Amino acid sequence: MSDLDDFKATYFDECSELLTELEEQFAAIQGGDRTSDRLNAVFRAIHSIKGGGGAFGFSELVAFAHAYETLLDHVRDGRIELGETVTVLCIRANDIVADFVNAAKAGTKLGAGYGADERQQFDALTSGNAPEVRAPAGGDDESGPAMDEFDLDFVPVMVNLETAAPVPAAEEAAMDDNFAAAPLVADKPQWEIRFAPHSELYARANDPLLLFRELANLGELTVVARLNEIPPLADFEPFGIYCTWDLTLVSPTATAEQIAEVFEFVEGNCDLSIVPLAPRSVTSKGDPSLADLAAIVTPPADAAEEVISFADLADAVKKDMPKRAVPVPAPAAPVAKLLKPAEAAADPAPSMASEDDERRTGPEDRRGAGVQSIRVDLDKVDRVVNMVGELVITQSMLTQQMDDTLRARYQELVRGLEVLAQTTRGLQDAVMAIRAQPVKSVFSRMPRLVRELAQKTGKKIKLETIGEATEIDKTVIEQLSDPLTHMIRNSADHGIETPDRRKSLGKPEIGTIRLSAEQAGGNILIAVEDDGGGINRERVLEVARHKGIVAADTTPTDEQIDQLIFAPGFSTAETVSDISGRGVGMDVVLSNIKKIGGSVHVKSKTGQGTRMTLRLPLTLAVLDVMLVKVSGSPYVIPLSSIVETIQCSRADFGRAPSGAKVLRVRGEYVQVVDLANRFQMMSEADLGNRFVVLCEAEGGVKIALIVDDIIGQQQVVIKSLEENFESIDGIAGGTILGDGNVALIVDVQGLKATKLHKNAA
Amino acid sequence: MDNLALKDDYGTGTQVTQNSLQLIAFSIGEQTYGVEITTVREIRAWNGATPLPNTREYVRGVINLRGTIVPIFDLRARFGEGQTSPTKNHVVVVMSVGDKWVGILVDAVSDILTVDRNDIHNVPEGNTMDTELLNGIVTHESRMVGLIDLHAVVSGAKVDG
Repeated sequence: MSDLDDFKATYFDECSELLTELEEQFAAIQGGDRTSDRLNAVFRAIHSIKGGGGAFGFSELVAFAHAYETLLDHVRDGRIELGETVTVLCIRANDIVADFVNAAKAGTKLGAGYGADERQQFDALTSGNAPEVRAPAGGDDESGPAMDEFDLDFVPVMVNLETAAPVPAAEEAAMDDNFAAAPLVADKPQWEIRFAPHSELYARANDPLLLFRELANLGELTVVARLNEIPPLADFEPFGIYCTWDLTLVSPTATAEQIAEVFEFVEGNCDLSIVPLAPRSVTSKGDPSLADLAAIVTPPADAAEEVISFADLADAVKKDMPKRAVPVPAPAAPVAKLLKPAEAAADPAPSMASEDDERRTGPEDRRGAGVQSIRVDLDKVDRVVNMVGELVITQSMLTQQMDDTLRARYQELVRGLEVLAQTTRGLQDAVMAIRAQPVKSVFSRMPRLVRELAQKTGKKIKLETIGEATEIDKTVIEQLSDPLTHMIRNSADHGIETPDRRKSLGKPEIGTIRLSAEQAGGNILIAVEDDGGGINRERVLEVARHKGIVAADTTPTDEQIDQLIFAPGFSTAETVSDISGRGVGMDVVLSNIKKIGGSVHVKSKTGQGTRMTLRLPLTLAVLDVMLVKVSGSPYVIPLSSIVETIQCSRADFGRAPSGAKVLRVRGEYVQVVDLANRFQMMSEADLGNRFVVLCEAEGGVKIALIVDDIIGQQQVVIKSLEENFESIDGIAGGTILGDGNVALIVDVQGLKATKLHKNAA
Repeated sequence: MDNLALKDDYGTGTQVTQNSLQLIAFSIGEQTYGVEITTVREIRAWNGATPLPNTREYVRGVINLRGTIVPIFDLRARFGEGQTSPTKNHVVVVMSVGDKWVGILVDAVSDILTVDRNDIHNVPEGNTMDTELLNGIVTHESRMVGLIDLHAVVSGAKVDG
C-alpha cells in the first residue's frame, strides 16, 4: 500500500508542478505569445495530469481533463482559434483541473456538476468544429496563430513516393498499380509502425497497450509482437525489455502527425519508426516480415525515403520533405534506420519541439537543455543545512577562543582556522544555493487568486509580476504564500476601486496589482503594489481608536497610521466578506514575516495606491550579527540592518521637545532607543562607556539603539522563541551562542513600530 | 479487584493501579508541590538563563536545551513570594505543556510519589491564586502536596506594551 501512496505523492507533486507550468504558459499566451510551443506544453501538462489521474482512478478528474484535452487538441490543430474567449475558458479550465487534483489529493469529492458548464462549452466548441469542416487549402490563414504547421495533411508526402524510384523490380508492378490509383492511396494510407520501448518507458509507467488502443482509434490496427528476442527462462531478467512490436495501421484519415502524437509522451524512451505504406502491403498484413518491409522501404541510397522521424516529420510539413529525407544506408537495416527521436531532436522544428526546447521557453527560465537535475527529499537537504549551520557556529566559536597569545604561539593553527572559516563559508553558500528557489513558484499561484477575487468583488483587476526569477530560500518561499495571499486579497478588496468608481476618478477601468521581487544586499524585497484608493487614514484611525489600539489623545503620523493595519484584530471593513474583513490577515502577515526574520513596510498615497514591501532574509539558517551586551545579557543585532556604531561619549545627543533623546548624525536627527530601558532592565554602565548602534529599519528610517557593550561580529542560527514560549515585542527570536548560552535577536523594525503602542499605553 | 490485590504482593509499598497517580514532588521553601510524572521530560541543575525583556518577574529567561530555546518559570515568584535567588543547587524541571516545553525553577526535587486519585481534594475557595494555579491538593504521609496546573503557571507571562 505504501508503494501506491508513494506513487500518489509523486503524482501530486508532479501535478502541482504541471499546474504551475499551465499558469505560466497561459500567462505568456495572454501576453500575446501564441507559439505552438506554448500550446504543446499546455497539452502535455493536461495529458500527464489525465494519465496519472487515470492510473489512480480519479475518474472525475480524468473525464474533465479529457474534455479539456479534446478542446486543446482542436486548438492545436488550428480548428479552433485561440481567441480571448477560448483563452479565458482554458484558464478557467486550469483552475477546475487544479480543484479536481486538490479534491483527489484530499480524498474529497467535488459537487457532481462541478465543471459541467465548462465541459458543455468544450463540447459546443469542439462539435461545432468537426475536423472535416476545415478547408483543405487556404485554411491555414483562418486557423489563427496556433499551430499552422499542423494544418497540412500528409497527402503531399504520399505523392513524394513517386519520386522515390527506382524500387526493386519485384515490387515495381505493385507500386505502379498503387500510384495509378493515387486518389485511392490518399484515401487509404497505411502505416507501418515499429515500436521498441526502452526500459525508461516502463519506468515512467507508460503502457504500450494504452498507446496501441489510442492508435486503434485512428483506424484499423494490427499488432504483432516480436517475441524472438525473449531469452530462455534461465537468462530472463524480470525487468528486461525483450518485446518489440510491429504495427500496421490502415486508416483513411490518419496523418503522420496523429500517429506521432500518440507516441508523443514516450518520445525519447523508445525506438520508433513510422513508415507510410502503399495499400499493396495489405498482403503482408499480419505477417510483416522484415524482408517485406525492407524491400518496400529500401530504395537506393541517394533516393528519397519515407522513414518518418519526429524531426523529419516536422520538416515534411514544412514542405521540403525530399530535401530532408533520410537516406537508408543498407538493406540490412530493418525498416531502414531506426531514428531515435532524441537524436532527431537535434534540429527540432518549431511544431515538434523537444521537451528540452519547450522548457527553455519560459522567459526567465535558466534551465538549459543540458542541465541535469535530481529530485531530493527536502528533509535530506535540511539535515545538511542544519549540520552546516552548527558547523558554522562551532567554527566561529573556535575563532573566538583564539586570543592574541594563542595566535602568536600557534600560527599553523591560526592558518588552519582561517582556511576552515573560508571552507565553511563556501560550504554554507553551496548548501543554501541548493535550497534557493525562484519566487516564481509562489508568484505563479497568484494569478488564479486575482482572477477569483476579481470575480467575487466584481472588480476588474490585472496582475503584473516582476522579478520572478529572484531566488530565495525554500523555507522562506513556503512561508511566503499565506502573507502574499493576504496582501493581495487586501489590495483587491480594500485597495482597488470598483470599475465605475475608477472611471469616475479618471483611472483606467482595470485596476493593477503589481507583484515584484528583487534582491537588495542580503535581503529580498517583495512588494505588492496596487493603484487603488490608498489607505483611508481617517477610517483607520477611527477604528484603531474605537478598538483601543490607539489612545484617544495621541495623534499618530500618517506613516504610523498606515502601520496600524498590521495591529492584531484590526479591520476597517464594515461588512465581513469572505475575502477579507475579519481582522485576521494583516497581523498574520506581520507575524508570519517576523517569524522568518523579515519585516513589513507599508506606504500609501491617498487616491493613488498602496505599496506593501516585505523585506526577507536571503537565508533562514544563518544570520550575520553583531553581538552586544545589554544589562549583562547577550543580544544580537542583524548586521544587515546596522549602518554604523558610535561611542556614546562621541555621539551628538539632543533633546526633542517631548523630552525624548535624539541623535544627530550627519545632519539627520534620529530616534534613540535605550535598549536597557526599552527592555525594562537596569544598565550598570556609564552612558559614556556605552555605544550607539545606528540601524536602518524598513523604508530607510534610522533608529539609534544604545547598548552597554559591543562584543563582536559572528554568525548565528536563528531559533524560534515561539516554539516553546511566545513572541516578545522588540525581539525577533533567539540564538545559541558558542558557549551554549541563549542570546536574543533584536527586532529593529519591531522596536520602531511598537513605539506608537507604547505611547498609547 | 482480585487481580489488583494480587499485584500488591509484588510491590513494596508503591502501588501502581489504574486509579493511582505518580507525581514528581519538589519543594519551594517548606511547601511541597507535585506534577504528574508523565509530563516531566528532564531534571537539570540551574545554570543561569538569559533574561527575557517585557515579561513578568516569574519568567526567569530562556535556556538552551540541546538546540531549542526553552523558557524558565520561577515557581516561587509565580506564587507571589518573590524571585528565587538561584544557586547551583537549585533545580529546573523541564516539562511538556501542550506542545511546548517549559522549565520550572524549584528549590529541590524531593521524591516520586504514588497517590490515589480518590485522595485528591479540591483547593479550598478563597485565595484565587491557589485555585488558579493548583489542580488539587493531596496528602502524602501527612504532608500537603499541591498539584500544579502547568497551563495556568505558564499563561499570561508577557507584559504588553
